[in-house]
Amino acid sequence: MSNKAPARSGGLPPAARQRPRADLAALVRKIGSIPFEVSETRTDVDVRIAPEHLLALVDALHNRHELAFDYLRNISGVDQSPEGMELKYHFYSFKTGYSLQVTVPTATGHPHVPSLTGHYPAADWHEREAAEMFGFVFDGHPNLRNLLLEEDIHIHPLLKAHPLQAAEILQGIESGPPGFTI
Amino acid sequence: MSIWPDEKVLTPGEAEFDTVDMTINIGPQHPATHGVFRMILRVDGEVVVDCEPYIGYLHRGLEKLTEANDYRQAMGYWDRTDYLAGMACEHAYVMAVEALAQIDVPERAEYIRVIMAELSRINSHFLFLGAFGADVGSFGTSFIYAWRERERIYDLFEEVAGDRMFPTYMRVGGVAMDLPDNFEQRCRWLLGSIRQGIEDLDGLLTGNEIFVERCRNLAPMTSERAIALGITGPILRSTGLPWDLRKAEPYSVYDRMKFDIPWRPDLQGDVFDRFWMRLSEMYQSARIIEQCLEQMPKGGLVLNPDLPKTLRVDNGEAYIRYEGTKGEYGVYAMSKGGNKPYRMKLRSPSFCNLSALREMVIGSYVADAIIILGSLDIVLGEVDK
Repeated sequence: MSNKAPARSGGLPPAARQRPRADLAALVRKIGSIPFEVSETRTDVDVRIAPEHLLALVDALHNRHELAFDYLRNISGVDQSPEGMELKYHFYSFKTGYSLQVTVPTATGHPHVPSLTGHYPAADWHEREAAEMFGFVFDGHPNLRNLLLEEDIHIHPLLKAHPLQAAEILQGIESGPPGFTI
Repeated sequence: MSIWPDEKVLTPGEAEFDTVDMTINIGPQHPATHGVFRMILRVDGEVVVDCEPYIGYLHRGLEKLTEANDYRQAMGYWDRTDYLAGMACEHAYVMAVEALAQIDVPERAEYIRVIMAELSRINSHFLFLGAFGADVGSFGTSFIYAWRERERIYDLFEEVAGDRMFPTYMRVGGVAMDLPDNFEQRCRWLLGSIRQGIEDLDGLLTGNEIFVERCRNLAPMTSERAIALGITGPILRSTGLPWDLRKAEPYSVYDRMKFDIPWRPDLQGDVFDRFWMRLSEMYQSARIIEQCLEQMPKGGLVLNPDLPKTLRVDNGEAYIRYEGTKGEYGVYAMSKGGNKPYRMKLRSPSFCNLSALREMVIGSYVADAIIILGSLDIVLGEVDK
């Protein structure tokens, strides 16, 4: 058989192209009934929502046919200390071509967020990574063990309070900053 | 029927007996894992009933290091993520910083970046073809075929940037230096050589019936399931969904390029289709490079001259998606002023594709599990960050 790249006539279906952000902001505002704020980042529409309303919002994003966000791109934790930590979810819809960021701030000392593994199987490893790197607790996640770090180590390296040389401190080569414990 | 006339032949019910599942550890140091990756398989006879991947052996704290260095210094860490396509990773990183700081890039630099990124893609796919052939059993030959062309690409990188695997060639606002004088001629010669190399590997692997029979109908996947699992790149396209960020959300100068997303009506996302997709994409990358050479302004700046010595960025956040060699290479960048990023998160395509491994290998034979892992084309530098 030949591998000389036959092309699909017309290329991508039109829905798979990027759509204007203003349309999306209007569509998201229509969800109503849940309290959230809509703003814009340099690249995406951003929805800011409290953790207790996240599942209701994701239900709407996932199931409403005019939004149909079927693909969870990424989950990033951000340490916003002293204000607590935030999670940034990035969604994309293959059906409508929209792209959306959802910001979930958590209170200091209570980093609990519902797990999205029920809606998006892709959330599994992203949530495990955010849990070990920041100390988030994803309620409902089936298996929140360490992923990139050692299994029996319980540090959260991406917190701003965590010093850069922690490996040397762990090995006893260097002493840590005053007050730092692992 | 027994070959011994006196022996009692057991009926299927009588022949069954209890078996115990066995646990097999593969890796982290194992040639089939393409790096330091470990998986624990639970097998019932020859059949995999469960698989637990363990990653993190190559974790270097990329994101923490990026926060600790300024925008210029941190780039050196990023071409060590997907170390088979360093130029493409650098391109994604500088795009993220440019989106944060709203910096323009000279046109010539954009073309140079695309040429380098596409050469990296060809380079990475060559490694896949070689290593995957070795996984399936073409021991050595496919590897050497692939290495011949990769060596020539690396030679060109060395001439352009001064280094082969980790060129650190891109800069925020352009590229480090202009191309050498004879670049266009060298590059055209290289493209001819690359096309010959792809055809050689095509003949060696696709022309081999044993290879094709091993790969056909192995671990097929639907587009819907691939999307739900977060799979992108050639693996998603091999399920029959022609989605490529270079076309869906064009960045740099890709909107001026004519290229096709390879597609066949009988794509089913099996191991053979993943192999076929990467092989076909390489021709398209060569097409893109040729167009760049033709369209590129023949002279002019390659670095934005208005950049300050120390780059300070205002508050802001951006999520850059880049069609890396393995899939969607996403960079989430957040700045809170100052000369260092407040947060930089890598959405690594290998990491997300690998998370689907468990689902793919359950129910297959142990020997096929190795091929399925090979067909994902992971780079552990990118998985472990």
